[in-house]
Amino acid sequence: MTDAPHCPSCGAATAAGTLFCENCGFSLGAPPTGENPLPVSLQGAVAPDASTPIDDVAPISAATHATGGAVAPTAVPGRIPCRTCGGEVGPDGYCGQCGTKAPSERDHFREAPAPWVAGVCDRGIRHSRNEDAMALLASPTAGERAVLLVMDGVSNTDDSHIASLAGARAAVEVLRTPLPRGMGTPDSRIAAVTKVFTDAVSAANDAVVATAPDGTPSPPSATFVCVVVEGSTLSFANVGDSRAYWLPDGAPGVQLSVDDSVAQQMIAAGTPRHQAETSAQAHAITKWLGRDARDISPRVGELQVAGSGWVLVCSDGLWNYASEPEALAAQIRASGTTEPAALALALTDWANAQGGIDNITVTVARLDLPPAGQNAVPAAQGASDPNAETAAYPVVPQEETHG
Amino acid sequence: MAEFTAAVYQNEFLPDGGTDVNAIVTVTCAGAGTAGQSGGGSAGEIIIVDTSGSMGPQTMAAAKQAAQAAIAEIVDGTWFAVVAGSDRAMLAYPQVSSGPGMIQADARTRQEASAAVGRFIGSGGTAISTWLDLAGTLFASVPEVTQRHAILLTDGENREQPGSLDEAIRRATGVFQCDCRGAGTDWQVEEIRRIAQALLGSVDIIPEPSQMQAQFQEMMRSSMARGVADAQLRVWTPQGAQVLFVRQVSPTVEDLTDRRVEVNPLTGSYPTGAWADESRDYHVAVRVAAKAIGQEQLAARVQLALGENVVTQALVKATWSNNSELTTRIDQQVAHYTGQTELASMIQEGLAAKASGDEATATTKLGRAVQLAAETGNDEATSKLKKVVDITDEREGTVRLKAAIAKADEMALDTASTKTTRIKK
Repeated sequence: MTDAPHCPSCGAATAAGTLFCENCGFSLGAPPTGENPLPVSLQGAVAPDASTPIDDVAPISAATHATGGAVAPTAVPGRIPCRTCGGEVGPDGYCGQCGTKAPSERDHFREAPAPWVAGVCDRGIRHSRNEDAMALLASPTAGERAVLLVMDGVSNTDDSHIASLAGARAAVEVLRTPLPRGMGTPDSRIAAVTKVFTDAVSAANDAVVATAPDGTPSPPSATFVCVVVEGSTLSFANVGDSRAYWLPDGAPGVQLSVDDSVAQQMIAAGTPRHQAETSAQAHAITKWLGRDARDISPRVGELQVAGSGWVLVCSDGLWNYASEPEALAAQIRASGTTEPAALALALTDWANAQGGIDNITVTVARLDLPPAGQNAVPAAQGASDPNAETAAYPVVPQEETHG
Repeated sequence: MAEFTAAVYQNEFLPDGGTDVNAIVTVTCAGAGTAGQSGGGSAGEIIIVDTSGSMGPQTMAAAKQAAQAAIAEIVDGTWFAVVAGSDRAMLAYPQVSSGPGMIQADARTRQEASAAVGRFIGSGGTAISTWLDLAGTLFASVPEVTQRHAILLTDGENREQPGSLDEAIRRATGVFQCDCRGAGTDWQVEEIRRIAQALLGSVDIIPEPSQMQAQFQEMMRSSMARGVADAQLRVWTPQGAQVLFVRQVSPTVEDLTDRRVEVNPLTGSYPTGAWADESRDYHVAVRVAAKAIGQEQLAARVQLALGENVVTQALVKATWSNNSELTTRIDQQVAHYTGQTELASMIQEGLAAKASGDEATATTKLGRAVQLAAETGNDEATSKLKKVVDITDEREGTVRLKAAIAKADEMALDTASTKTTRIKK
């Protein structure tokens, strides 16, 4: 595993503080103490302390009232019926009908803050505990605003299950208010959004670090991925290899996040995706949150979307079995549902049916936007159209354009 | 107030496709108190003594002493009666012709009962069904008696129409418990064991009249120490599962599988009778549908219930694993009691073969019994087997039937066949 800075485009090692990749020329974003405080690329990493002073001023930068709705309680009132047969689970934790062991509330929990947003966080089959976590926010009005946040605790560290949940809950609080709009220019907008995500990651990191005292031999660590839905705008950020996708109905989907993983480095270097993701080191992540993390700056991006489709934010417990957007879209179609809660459960069950080798978290938001038309926003705006008026910050994952 | 606890011993790991789950559940009762003192109803004791003509003067004298010793152990307030049994049953005490057929124990009634026993005279035949039926009628005459226990002494074979004893046993089953003792060697172990097993009691031989008093005293003391009137073992199994068997395996082997009474479609209840401060082991085997590697499920909930009240529970689990180190292990307790159960049937089958003149089968079965007794450390069985066979090789189970076997030794081996030993947990 490496945690040295690297180019997100080609995977080449880069020196800290450089603006552009020596290898491919890709913009690496602002250095921690750079002269230019505004990153020029949404894909570049932004240092946590990159300052955007203008965004500390309301109302340009941040909303003063919460519109995100409450975090759905994790503790589900009453026990969920048996997942195998639907029977009643007894006080001893086993189904009274078929005897299947009911997962603990940490091992299997569901959230649905609004009818259009839902998530399932599940232990899977092979792991002895659920180190994944999620936190969801959603406005009551469908499509208005939602936050889908997933963290995957690293399984070879202590108490990752506590750390990931604490991190997700801390981070989602930062994202409770609408994202800032900046000064109205693309650069200031993205700088402002990047700062908010950086703060969210920072809050998550503080919570993860606080889980274990200093000197813990194997301190907990976790990944981070988040999508903020605000109308037709999807803003996203990630650290590690948990993922976000936009999967429009009847059109090709895209992976929004770019993994910080050895596999991703191999893909960037030209190895075919399937080969890279099944290689021995595929799941070694190159960035994470935690006491031993060296770089927690998230990769931030935005996408304007149109039409109907699904925002999917998940851990590798799901994408292990369906990595390509099309493979995931196929499973969504196979589930035969348009209910977010039912879909999240169906995808979780499907991943378990494939072997459930890792913890599985599936969070989804259903969007029903006007279709892309003459005056509408094109879905998955490509980098080739950087001047599109309504899609000021189009971002397409690297392998989609360069891979 | 009695407190029950339950512990389970099993290897929960099953290989891929594995379906059979075996577990030993140890149920322990503490603070049972004294029979009839818990407030849940009174205790009742009936002493049934064989007064047929076959009872020789010496045996009759010893039986009277034994019955009197038992009467002396009856705790004040306990309802009791004494029955004299021959080709019909007679209520020897209390001497009533109407109303309740039992009386509460105190110094006066115990003395009157002893005097009545002292007037026993042996005559007539042996019709045990009438004895059981009278005991059932007497218990029914005092509704407040909820803990019902009898002691039955006989010295001879039952002389009745085939089937009438079995019908009487059926009528008595679930009504009262009965510990049975056979005096001398003219009685049938198999016959008396049928009574004891159905009525949740013990069976033993009293070869010498001199041993009778101590045995009766002990039986009555044990019964008086059972402060928990009646408990049921409940076994819940998942939908689609099959209970292969439910056995008590300690202190004795008693197969309860066929005693199941349905509580609900997934739960069966098995009788365990009254409890003192003691510990009993149950072997439960369940067949479940195989699940995927890594899945865990409950194979059985084994509970002890007093009426509708579940007082303790043990969970029998199944976890499918592809780790053969885990799945091939056989739990030590399960292995031990599987051996002890086989030991009991080998002794019984070996003696039955010997009785029918099939010496080859008898030698093989008793040889296997010798081997099992050695493997499971059942020294009592080994010493009793040694009185019936000459052991050539204990580990191989090579034996020869002894040329001359005392009938009492053979019967003692038979009655003790179901007694098991425990191993360290």
